Amino acid sequence: MTTYLPIRSADSPLGQDAPTTDAVGASLAFDDPRHLLAHRWLVEETYVLDHQDYDAWLGLLAEDIHYYMPIRVTTALGTGYDTAKRMAHFDEDKYSLSRRVARFQTEHAWTEDPPSRIRHHLSNVRTFATANDDELVVESAVLLFRSRGDVNEASLISAGRTDLLRRAGALGGGWLLARRHIAVDESVLRTQNLAIFL
Amino acid sequence: MRDADVVLANVRRGMLPAHIYNDTEVFEAERERLFSRSWMFVAHESEIPQVGDYVVRRVMDNSFIVSRDQSGDVHAMFNMCLHRGMQVCRAEQGNASHFRCPYHGWSYRNDGRIVGLPFHQEAYGGEAGFARKGQRLVPAPSLDSINGLIFVSMDPDAPPLREFLGDFAFYLDYYTRQSPSGVEVLGPQRWRVKANWKIGAENFAGDMYHTPQTHTSVVEIGLFREPKAEKRKDGCTYWAGRGGGTTYKLPPGSLEERLQYVGYPDEMIKKMLEQWSQDQLDVIGRDGFMISAASVFPNLSLVHNWPKVADSDDVLPFISLRQWQPISADETEVLSWFVVDKEAPEEFKKLSYKAYLMCFGSSGMFEQDDVENWVSLTNTAAGTMARRLLLNGRMGMLQDDTPVVEPLAPEEFAGPGVARVGYGEYNQRALLAEWADHLEQEPPATATTVVGMSGQAECS
Repeated sequence: MTTYLPIRSADSPLGQDAPTTDAVGASLAFDDPRHLLAHRWLVEETYVLDHQDYDAWLGLLAEDIHYYMPIRVTTALGTGYDTAKRMAHFDEDKYSLSRRVARFQTEHAWTEDPPSRIRHHLSNVRTFATANDDELVVESAVLLFRSRGDVNEASLISAGRTDLLRRAGALGGGWLLARRHIAVDESVLRTQNLAIFL
Repeated sequence: MRDADVVLANVRRGMLPAHIYNDTEVFEAERERLFSRSWMFVAHESEIPQVGDYVVRRVMDNSFIVSRDQSGDVHAMFNMCLHRGMQVCRAEQGNASHFRCPYHGWSYRNDGRIVGLPFHQEAYGGEAGFARKGQRLVPAPSLDSINGLIFVSMDPDAPPLREFLGDFAFYLDYYTRQSPSGVEVLGPQRWRVKANWKIGAENFAGDMYHTPQTHTSVVEIGLFREPKAEKRKDGCTYWAGRGGGTTYKLPPGSLEERLQYVGYPDEMIKKMLEQWSQDQLDVIGRDGFMISAASVFPNLSLVHNWPKVADSDDVLPFISLRQWQPISADETEVLSWFVVDKEAPEEFKKLSYKAYLMCFGSSGMFEQDDVENWVSLTNTAAGTMARRLLLNGRMGMLQDDTPVVEPLAPEEFAGPGVARVGYGEYNQRALLAEWADHLEQEPPATATTVVGMSGQAECS
């Protein structure tokens, strides 16, 4: 028995054209070069996000990215779903992510001025091969600590992520994020907004 | 609540004691006198379309199962087992013909009737001990609906919902009845903000003044073409019955051209023309106003906007419904739904959903900056200095109460209620006057349900 219900892009009306590559087989050994590569990629990304260096972050995203964080709902065991039907916190393509980033770069995005102090605590990374050599599936846990102002209570967001990383090929051998499914661990978020990325 | 008479008198003249936005005594008064009486939204019928579907929603601290029974009727039942008070349903949503309490195994049909009481004969001596016949989960004191929106009142003597809403029902149709099939409501996104519930309700009711300042960034990035200061003040606010809202003034054109301007496809426009009354159509076609944000007293809000969802000049309209669910004096749970006409083309539904996500809800770019302000306001309202401050909420009135602008005449605005062009806090005052009226009344009379004792009233 398992309570794990994977998130699928196909469940979203905006995810119909998302990459569909799946993991194949068991997770790779921790000394496998592909795992080391993927792990390093995720660690580097946490620094980019913590520094709110969002131009650099957009540069890590593939043009066809589906960035998807469906709403989690509390359902009885065996119901068969634990995310809301056709509703998400994030259901993004590159254009909508680029608008979010552009907004932070105006002088009038009040919610992040003064900026939050954020720290993505990354753990439980495991990597899977796929049917092709140019894509890897990487799973991770992330705990986002966010502090705003001097005495406001800080907020935490805990989530699991399943990412599809793709070799950028001609672009110098870097890897890009082509799909991110975020399984947030709360049904009701305890943060004032999602003016952050996971 | 301390100095209630003075506080309410000040609120009624538009002078706002700042502490009402973060004061536990005020919150207790709201709980006892306002949320114990007023109609409160709990769910939309499209959230429970099939027989057996249910969602669990709260009215303040009270958990209700909103279910569709085997004959298709909708119920709102207090989510507490009649035996030892356990929650009989601990999921948020699902489909069930019965709810079984995990504690001692009592079970109930999805219309609330008790069907299973283990060892009824052995433990209670049957009906002579515990009168099972006719027992059911306690229904919400009052239940009513409009356009599929299901409301509950904690007052058993609440007036009919339509009577409570009054002329606001006219405006509700723009959001929730664009075709004969009505709307589907998706979500909600839920998140908690450290802000007082009234602030959001007031903002959506009438605050056109904040748009060009708070939401500058979304115009700068090309998401929204409208809220430039000079445009926003050309719109009007209206208050009708127990709700009110804001509008944008549209460029000249025919009714159809104006609906196209905000992005509705011809297929949907055709249905609106058949669905809405001549007065409802005239507000748009003759008078040139398009509804935007609105609030229904006390804590339900709506919004209709039309951003760009791709790198083109096309805009796409979306509708959101949201509830400012009070948690405490300084905390609110926001429940935000996406609303779309059932008969809309699939492509429209998809892009309208995208428009919603970009603008409102937990990650919405409009909403992000709103909440930042409201949290900050709530923080500052907690201290003793806030008790010494009467904020000026009188925008639109001179000091002798003369209005800055006259209401629109019937030939200028076809909708019911009182509408005025430009910035003003008429609607926020109307909402708070209603708030004051409620806080002034004694809590409503309630009845006690006695479980399992046939024909016996409560001890007096």
